[in-house]
Amino acid sequence: MSRNTVAGWSFILPNFVGFAVLTLLPVVVLFYVAFTNWNVFGVAEWTGTANFRRMWDDASFWTALRNTVYYTVFHIPLTLAASLGLALLLNRKLRGVRFFRTVAFFPYITSIVAIAVVWNQLFSPEYGPINALLGAVGVDNPPGWTTSSTWSMPAVIIVGTWRYMGYYMLLFLAGLQTIPAQLYEAAETDGATPWQRFVHVTLPGLRHTTFFVTVLLTIESFKVFDLILVMTGGGPGQSTLVLSQYIYQKSFEENQFGYASAVSIVLFAICFSITVIQFMVNKRRNS
Amino acid sequence: MKRAIPAVISAATALALVLAGCGGGDEPVDPNAPVTITLAGWSLSSTPEFKALADGFKATHPNVTVELKEYAPGNDYDTQMITDLAAGTAPDVYVMKNLKNFYTYQSGGQLLDVSDATSGLGSSPALASYQVDGKAYAVPYRQDSWVLFYNKDLFAKAKVAPPDGNWTWDDYTDAAKRLHTGLKGAGSNATGAYQHTFQSTVQGFALAQTPNADLLSGDFGYLKPYYERSLDLQAAGAQPTFGTAKTNKLTYQAQFGKQQSAMLLMGTWYVATLLNQRQSGDADTFQWGIAPAPQFDKSTTGTSATPVTFGDPTGLGINPKISKSKTAAAKAFLQYAAGPDAGKALAGIGITPAQVTDAVTATLFGLAGVPQDDLSKFAYAKHTVKPENPVSKHTAGLQNLLNETHSAILSDSKGVDAELSKAQARAKNEVLNQ
Repeated sequence: MSRNTVAGWSFILPNFVGFAVLTLLPVVVLFYVAFTNWNVFGVAEWTGTANFRRMWDDASFWTALRNTVYYTVFHIPLTLAASLGLALLLNRKLRGVRFFRTVAFFPYITSIVAIAVVWNQLFSPEYGPINALLGAVGVDNPPGWTTSSTWSMPAVIIVGTWRYMGYYMLLFLAGLQTIPAQLYEAAETDGATPWQRFVHVTLPGLRHTTFFVTVLLTIESFKVFDLILVMTGGGPGQSTLVLSQYIYQKSFEENQFGYASAVSIVLFAICFSITVIQFMVNKRRNS
Repeated sequence: MKRAIPAVISAATALALVLAGCGGGDEPVDPNAPVTITLAGWSLSSTPEFKALADGFKATHPNVTVELKEYAPGNDYDTQMITDLAAGTAPDVYVMKNLKNFYTYQSGGQLLDVSDATSGLGSSPALASYQVDGKAYAVPYRQDSWVLFYNKDLFAKAKVAPPDGNWTWDDYTDAAKRLHTGLKGAGSNATGAYQHTFQSTVQGFALAQTPNADLLSGDFGYLKPYYERSLDLQAAGAQPTFGTAKTNKLTYQAQFGKQQSAMLLMGTWYVATLLNQRQSGDADTFQWGIAPAPQFDKSTTGTSATPVTFGDPTGLGINPKISKSKTAAAKAFLQYAAGPDAGKALAGIGITPAQVTDAVTATLFGLAGVPQDDLSKFAYAKHTVKPENPVSKHTAGLQNLLNETHSAILSDSKGVDAELSKAQARAKNEVLNQ
């Protein structure tokens, strides 16, 4: 080994050891545990594909999967639209634009528990301002929000979108800065309307950013956990139970680490395949 | 550089050998040698029971120091404890907050056989919960039971007769409704009753009181009348709805302590909380009392009968990784904690020990601020307590799904029958077949 190699290794070693011990090793172990029956104490008993077969007949697993997809399908387009809209709005030369950008980013850095407490009160069916407002504009039967199994998921999606739009707005703002101003000037000279400029200049110019944001949003939506845990705890009933929470329940509450690991692998496989598909589609578009 | 690496490796090896040397070997047992055992507890600053036990034991065993190790409160306690046990870093003696996880600890080989520490404890249902194949794996030191707390001032204001020890659930429901009307008429916003969002507030009573009810049978029909009464009270406005309690994060301490509700079904631990909160100003000062929990039917009501209620014991077990030189001291500590002396010490700070004797009742009712009427003493001292979490491999799974059923029924109910049959199907397909 040359002196340089040793020096190089010594620089990356502390970081790599941390990564290996705290990330890589648990992931590898997870793939093994998923094929066992293990309650944390003692030896894991090899059960082959039993955990995966069990999942097939487990109604709660399917409920959690359905709810996760429900959240994702609505959360992604809503957040994309909201964050892009905000970015376009705050990309202009307005008075106090920095202040508004900061305000939009605020929810992202606010504690999730505080968010849940405040939004739960806003959503309160009897005393909350949201239903008071709906009542004032003539809605006779305002929804029960987090206390109703029909409306709890929409409530969570609204809060999720509100929380994350500031972060993705920032990414879109960065993307907008990279579009050359000459393109807009040329389009304007050619008589393009604001909508035409948006569709033919802004959107193509943002393609890389949009792709990046969509991939991040997909992964983030599929593994949504903390927001739902503190807002509804998965309820009422199982109406907002999502996969990551189901994994938590099976592992840390019921000590079925084997089964929980198997569900984790399914969640991983879903995230992984959708991301791969997104990359493939993006590559084809680029070529 | 090249020479430095072997030097570092040998230094590390030497250090590892030294550390390994420190941990190895058990010293010979000398009964009078100073020993320190560690004990797990939670929220040490606001939960004085652990210090009371440690200090009380030190008084009779001056050579043994019980060192407290703080763990997370609430449900995180078990998560953290299980992790520490699996990692081999758990304390010598640890607490089982309820029976839900006893199976996990015991079947996982994380509890020492402590049968020889149970002599003199008699035979109680609480102790029996910790026995497997005739051996005891923990001892109970606390046994809370659920009773009815009521605000005498609000009853007087609403002109409703206070509980007399003869109440069934229908009497309770009726009183809650009359309180609601009476309090409203008197210009008060307080509700007749408050039922906290815990699943226990409905399911615990239903399981304990209904003849032949069995959690592990997966047949949950016994819950139906209990849920119907809850829904009835919510609809009548006699208690805050489940949704209101959840979305506004209502606490039972504030509901009763700040006189927002005239009745509260809660465990006897609330006595200590209420006394403390009155001192700190978090609760108002008013006349209150304790009555037995309302009963399934008339056969268990009245002060000549024994009311049936529920509550899990809180137990102490020994980590099998304890060093041999400390085992005797740890077992002596368990025997003390479950015995009459510790019982009195615990009662002195408002905690209900596992064995409620006359001395314990006298100590607790000697505290300033505790009601002095006979019904309160009866309710505190006399009842049959059934476990909320019967010990089994399936308990945690069943309780989790019943918790989901609880929120589904009490929020925008799709009908009690529909939710219960769904819960039964899930119990059969997802838990009991595992």
